[in-house]
Amino acid sequence: MEAVANKYLRVLVTGASGFIGRKLSFALAEMGYDVIAFCRDIKHPFLINHRNIQFVKGDVLDPVSLERAMEGCYQVYHTAAMAKMWCKNEQDFYNVNVTGTRNVLDCALKLGVERVVHTSTCGVWGPTLNLPVSENDPRAVGFPISYERTKYLAELEVKEFVKKGLEVVIVNPSRVYGDGPITDSNTVSKMVTGYINGTWHFIPGDGKAIANYAFVDDVVDGHIAAMQNGRNGERYILGGTDVSFNGFFNTLKQLTGKQRILYRIPVSIIKAYSLLESVKSRLFNAAPFFLPEFADRLKYNQQYSSNKAIAELNYRITPFTVGLEKTINHFKPD
Amino acid sequence: MKQLTVLITGASEGLGKSFAIESAKRGLGLVLVSLPNSGLEHLANYLRVNFNCKVFYIEIDLTKNNAATEIFEKLKARKIKVNVLINNAGLGNWSWFEDKSIDFYRTQIDLNITNTVLLTRLFLNHIDKNAISYILNVGSLGGHFIVPKKQVYGATKSFIGYFTRCLQLELSGSNVHISLLSPGGMNTKPELLIMNNELKGFAKATILEADYVAKTAIDGMLKGKKEIIPGFANRFLLLLDKIIPGFLKEIIIRRKLKSILTA
Repeated sequence: MEAVANKYLRVLVTGASGFIGRKLSFALAEMGYDVIAFCRDIKHPFLINHRNIQFVKGDVLDPVSLERAMEGCYQVYHTAAMAKMWCKNEQDFYNVNVTGTRNVLDCALKLGVERVVHTSTCGVWGPTLNLPVSENDPRAVGFPISYERTKYLAELEVKEFVKKGLEVVIVNPSRVYGDGPITDSNTVSKMVTGYINGTWHFIPGDGKAIANYAFVDDVVDGHIAAMQNGRNGERYILGGTDVSFNGFFNTLKQLTGKQRILYRIPVSIIKAYSLLESVKSRLFNAAPFFLPEFADRLKYNQQYSSNKAIAELNYRITPFTVGLEKTINHFKPD
Repeated sequence: MKQLTVLITGASEGLGKSFAIESAKRGLGLVLVSLPNSGLEHLANYLRVNFNCKVFYIEIDLTKNNAATEIFEKLKARKIKVNVLINNAGLGNWSWFEDKSIDFYRTQIDLNITNTVLLTRLFLNHIDKNAISYILNVGSLGGHFIVPKKQVYGATKSFIGYFTRCLQLELSGSNVHISLLSPGGMNTKPELLIMNNELKGFAKATILEADYVAKTAIDGMLKGKKEIIPGFANRFLLLLDKIIPGFLKEIIIRRKLKSILTA
């Protein structure tokens, strides 16, 4: 039924080759939407082919290419972002995340797009001081991490456009994991494949730091639900399960049946090492393995509550063991 | 020690919000003051559930004529006793003198100067002089230097510096500890997040996160420090200022100004 109902409805997905964007494009195509998959490289290996997906080359920093792609689209999912830990050119974070978002929203307003879903991040709240963070909570610490700072500024852009009359719903995924390509912005896949291959050897600190892991399929469903049922101008945390590093690797051990020796490395040593890495990246402009602002974060928990999305968007959380098993199966050689 | 309850002005955003969180972490009771519709209710709830502390909040425009009186009357009516005052609310600017209206300057002076003086005056009436109490006035490192485009702001912060140092003398030997906080630049407002991030080298090292400044300031205040300057780079800057002869500084500032004017 749904496939018929959505047929010929044209939607744009920016960041279509990204971890969330590629699966979102596929899910929308399966539902019968006519998907314009917007990306810088239409031959990108991460793109998923589907008869309802049309790849369109463009860049969120090029308004002309945006306008061409968005023409005739009645909804827009803006998932494109600079989500890396480090960029050769620091200004890229601002350009892609803030100016890029402004360009997308500007174009959507101009072309009369019915609704936009903007993909933000739980990083706009950052660490948890005590209880899991929910949407109305303030940010408790500063913004030393460029990704978090620019994604926060992007949300302010969204607020401006909502005032101008554009309908936008913001979704804030936590640490997204699942089957999909291993990229710079996807630390979980790195840990999983590293564990399977026996190349991952450490647990940060005492391993008790908790983070919130959201399964990619849940996050994709949450995007579509936010488009359908989200309230204009509101934010929705799309999270998952709170798991400590110890819990994470224990689950991996059980699911893979592989016993690996993992060394607990004190945060102070990680910090010292990250300072060296930071100097290295500054002197040689080479990608660092780890940065001090991320080392500091290892001291905190990052727990987020998805209750608002569960109540208003019927958001569902896949149990962590189920999601992780699917991820492991994806990486296992057949 | 007696339970401390702190009154924080300008508590909804920036350094004020960090003061609120830092105080809650330490188990202090809180009275938060900020403009109406600035999100105080959410902040208050967040602090109550996360830190199990008592939070009362007052939404008021501090530039109103009788704002200071109203605040202490509200506390009296609610039977809330505060023994720490953080005069944090302030309005900055980074603009040539002729680029702002007289209303802006009136608001800036009312908020930064008048309000601080009146709240301090009423606070001294409100407290029990036999028990220890604290005042923390937020000045600025800018109050120590002559910075173009900060003409009125810098002057209001110099006022806060003079006012605080003078009260320290008048109140020496009493149970009231009064500290001056002189922070450098901070990553608080969105426009500052952008501007500060474009800085390089030493200038960038002087920029601090508000949570760090709040923690250092409250530590210093509770120790009874007279002036608190968070950050090594900022303390170094002030030291330089003290040892460099006046005529040299004049030359440096003028050259800097020239490059700004021609830019």
